[in-house]
Amino acid sequence: MNPIATLLDPKTKRRLIVGASVLVVLALAYRFLYPVFFDAYVGKTNAPLTYESSQPLTDAEFEALAQSLSEEARRLKAEAVVAEDQDAFARQVKIEMLMNTESFIRDSEPSHIKYFREAGIRQYEGPKTCLTCHATIEVDHPDGTRSTVDTLDDLVNSVHFKFQSAAGGFSTYGYDGRQVNAGPHKIPVGKIDRACGIPGSFTWTGWAALVESRPDHVEDGEVVLRSEGCGQCHIGGNYQPATEKMMPIGDVPSMAKEGIDCLICHATDYDMNQRVVIQDQYGLRWDQDRSLRAALTVAPISSETCLRCHQHNMGGDVYEHNAAAQSLGYKHQRLLHRGAKRGNPFSPEDDVHAAAGIQCTDCHRPEGHKIPRGRLGVDLVANDLPDKEVSCETCHGRAPHNSSENKALLNGHIARLACETCHIPRLEAENVVLRDWVHPTWDAEEGVWEPTDVYRSGEPGKGFTYLWFNGNGTFLANALGNNPNGTDTYDPLMRQVAHIDNPEVIAAVRAKAIELKERYPDIDVERYVQMATDPLSQLSPEMLDRRRAMIQANLRAAMNDGESRIYPFKLFNAMMYEDMSNQGPFGAMILPFDYATYYETGDTQAAVKRAIQDPIVQRMYQEPFKLYMMDEFMAYFGVSGGWKTIYPLVDGQLVNVEPHWMRQMGTLMVNHGIQGQGHDCADCHAPNGIMDFEQLGYAPERIAELQDPELLRQPPATETSETTEPSAP
Amino acid sequence: MNDRDISVRAGGWLALGLLLSALLGSVPETEASIQGRLGTDNADCLRCHRMETLAYRDPRTGDIVDLHVDSRAFGHSAHGELQCIDCHEGDFGQYPHPESALGERLDCVGCHKELHKADKRAYTFKTIDEEFALSIHATSDSPKAEGFDCHRCHDPHGFRNSEVGQPIAEIVRADNQICLSCHTKIRDPHSTAHLWLPKRDKHWTSVRCLDCHTPLTDPGQPVSHQILAGADSNFDCVNCHSKEPRLLQRLYQYRSETDLAGSGWLSKAVFNQAYVVGMSRSPLLDALGLSVIGLTLLVLIAHGWGRYRAYLRLKEDRS
Repeated sequence: MNPIATLLDPKTKRRLIVGASVLVVLALAYRFLYPVFFDAYVGKTNAPLTYESSQPLTDAEFEALAQSLSEEARRLKAEAVVAEDQDAFARQVKIEMLMNTESFIRDSEPSHIKYFREAGIRQYEGPKTCLTCHATIEVDHPDGTRSTVDTLDDLVNSVHFKFQSAAGGFSTYGYDGRQVNAGPHKIPVGKIDRACGIPGSFTWTGWAALVESRPDHVEDGEVVLRSEGCGQCHIGGNYQPATEKMMPIGDVPSMAKEGIDCLICHATDYDMNQRVVIQDQYGLRWDQDRSLRAALTVAPISSETCLRCHQHNMGGDVYEHNAAAQSLGYKHQRLLHRGAKRGNPFSPEDDVHAAAGIQCTDCHRPEGHKIPRGRLGVDLVANDLPDKEVSCETCHGRAPHNSSENKALLNGHIARLACETCHIPRLEAENVVLRDWVHPTWDAEEGVWEPTDVYRSGEPGKGFTYLWFNGNGTFLANALGNNPNGTDTYDPLMRQVAHIDNPEVIAAVRAKAIELKERYPDIDVERYVQMATDPLSQLSPEMLDRRRAMIQANLRAAMNDGESRIYPFKLFNAMMYEDMSNQGPFGAMILPFDYATYYETGDTQAAVKRAIQDPIVQRMYQEPFKLYMMDEFMAYFGVSGGWKTIYPLVDGQLVNVEPHWMRQMGTLMVNHGIQGQGHDCADCHAPNGIMDFEQLGYAPERIAELQDPELLRQPPATETSETTEPSAP
Repeated sequence: MNDRDISVRAGGWLALGLLLSALLGSVPETEASIQGRLGTDNADCLRCHRMETLAYRDPRTGDIVDLHVDSRAFGHSAHGELQCIDCHEGDFGQYPHPESALGERLDCVGCHKELHKADKRAYTFKTIDEEFALSIHATSDSPKAEGFDCHRCHDPHGFRNSEVGQPIAEIVRADNQICLSCHTKIRDPHSTAHLWLPKRDKHWTSVRCLDCHTPLTDPGQPVSHQILAGADSNFDCVNCHSKEPRLLQRLYQYRSETDLAGSGWLSKAVFNQAYVVGMSRSPLLDALGLSVIGLTLLVLIAHGWGRYRAYLRLKEDRS
């Protein structure tokens, strides 16, 4: 029989039709049923998103707005031109002249005024409006090639939107010795699924909260609503983070993509007062500025646009030059976090690069919407471009010191010291080191219960320390590296990051513990101080032995890898509730807090109970989630035997849940807040300097050499001249 | 006008700063407080000079001046047994080193002339000096060649002669790196240099620049120090690819004993004096060829053995 005849055979025909229909049904199911099923499974909501600030304008209103924006831009430019000129009156006259100069008007007008006018756009409706013209963008790659990508796809698959990655390229090593996601079983890791002691929650459970605060200054019984949650920075204006992206199949629903806030990054003039939590019939989500005014000011990215969010994790919320923190909202004002995550601000006042007008993207050079964070990463944050270098050397080269008499010696230090080690002499004083989530403190001014920052400091040796670092880190953010002498005496996971020795810090912690005892009489002050400053004291002797053995067997290779240099690392530890069924020598699974319950009542256990009833946390304690990612997650975490799906909430009571400090401090890289004038030689090269050479693994002879007082004399021009020939004048 | 404004303003700030510091009664800490006398042992010098990134940018040229001495490489180098101050005379015993000491230049030939039996060597520094005088590095007008001395190529802290037994590829790489550290454009991805060579990249990995860019020397003589300009260099393939190739006597002289040690007498006998490109220069083909010869031999022997057995049986039958 010829093939055509075979095809026409009724039996074969039937088979073909059946096969095709199965495929069609599967495709339809994937397209329509899977998203519904997935949303139901993880208990998430998707609904069409609307924003109040997105209003249509009439042509006349548009022109009036255009004119005011144009004049504003022109005035700013004119003021910059004449800034240095003569006296105030002369400057004013010159500004007026410039304001009416034809080329000046043409060149300073925000470009999108013209585009919108011609395209008839009179309302900004989110990504839809942007994509009208920018459906695709050209992306330049470092090898000189150019590609065209779908803009929305590019963004939706970037870390800024999904804040996790299931790809390889992590410089992070599990405590079991395996590089994260280097093997065949890849799991989504990043901020989305990593509870952390600084925010005290997951993005799922802490995305958006409206907190009823009772500040002192308002009448009795009246409440003021405040906004809180991870969604204030993480773009995506939906009711939750992009959970769909954690699965190998499926995509974020298009209505959720319509909630992406393009303007917070791309508009020069964005009203951060719009960035507050709002409630609609489906739940809580973050509002955004979708005014035509903001849309018309779209211009190339600048440091100001990045810093709307990123100053929060650098200088901090209460840093005086944090511009976004000056606009907390017209209603539902955002709560400010008093302890800073890093305390290394990027601003002209406190960073030499910002002062020189260097923009974020000059170093973090984007490829489309993918922005590199550099090859060195210690804190398990997903990285869109893990191989792309972001470093001082790119601009400064190998011999950056040019003016000092000791320039060659200073350059000589680069082989062992990172630039940041000298050029970040201190962090902001608000830099938080120890945060107790279990014993909150009442903030009368804000009218909320806040986690107690037991210790804050920006000083070297207190708020941050110096560690060898080769670009690798552990699963719980501990910098890995080793003294190039290659010995095993450098052991930060048993020493520097697991122990606070500084007597001043210990005294401050004790003072805070005594203060806390007034409200929490159960606190045993001495034990409290011990647990906070010697977190290893929480481990049983067997656990401690296992920890030592695991460090030696699993982490030494990653520590000795590549070239290590000494970097400054901000230290951090938190006391949180832990699920003790999933405990290992490096810590246990920490449990999140529900922000509203926590801030309003200070009842920490109730806040945990509430948060872990979130459907996705419940799913975490079920078999599919265990197999999909939690077993692997726990292996990296150093917990043997896999993830125990023993749900810690039974009959409304927490079971096998204990408050603990993590068994070591986390170490966060600090790279901003760079000062032109670094540390002085004597800051390190003297006994009791800021650098603990012994803990850094140096032998006693070498330490004596490094701290040799003979090297550190004041310039004694006369002393040397008696014994030397007269040198050239 | 503006200039004056600025200087006036700067003067004002300076005055204010002085006033403030006077008022506060404290002088700001000295910026550079390293100063002192050191010994002059190698260990004293290396205390700083072993820093891998000890360097500065010369304000005159903008180039980076590398002051690092790799103490291990130095120990293994031709000068490994010398004291630093044997060559670096001057008052280096104090830091910062005085200007007078820094200005001094080293003179290799001067030093090597005085060396014991220096003139009894087959290849004396006098010869090198003469050859170098004709070299393009000495005769070029290019500003880049100004002040060209031995150290541009021979790092006195690391240089050692190639030795018999070193892998050829390593010798080639190390040797060419010396040239390429200045002639960087040659290896540019879009470079048109040497495009006339068939299999250019292959040549680059297995032949030293010097093998073509120096005049041919007599057998047994080392490579000349007279570096030739591109146009004057050796374009003749046959100089290497022939039965009595010069290349074998120069670059591949380092090889023979290794081969002898590594692959045995047979390999040397079979390959050594052969045409550079063949036998085949492919180890796989060579092995195949050898096994064909071996098999043929085996067949012949087996055949002879068979014939002999047949003869024996015939003899037995007859008797």
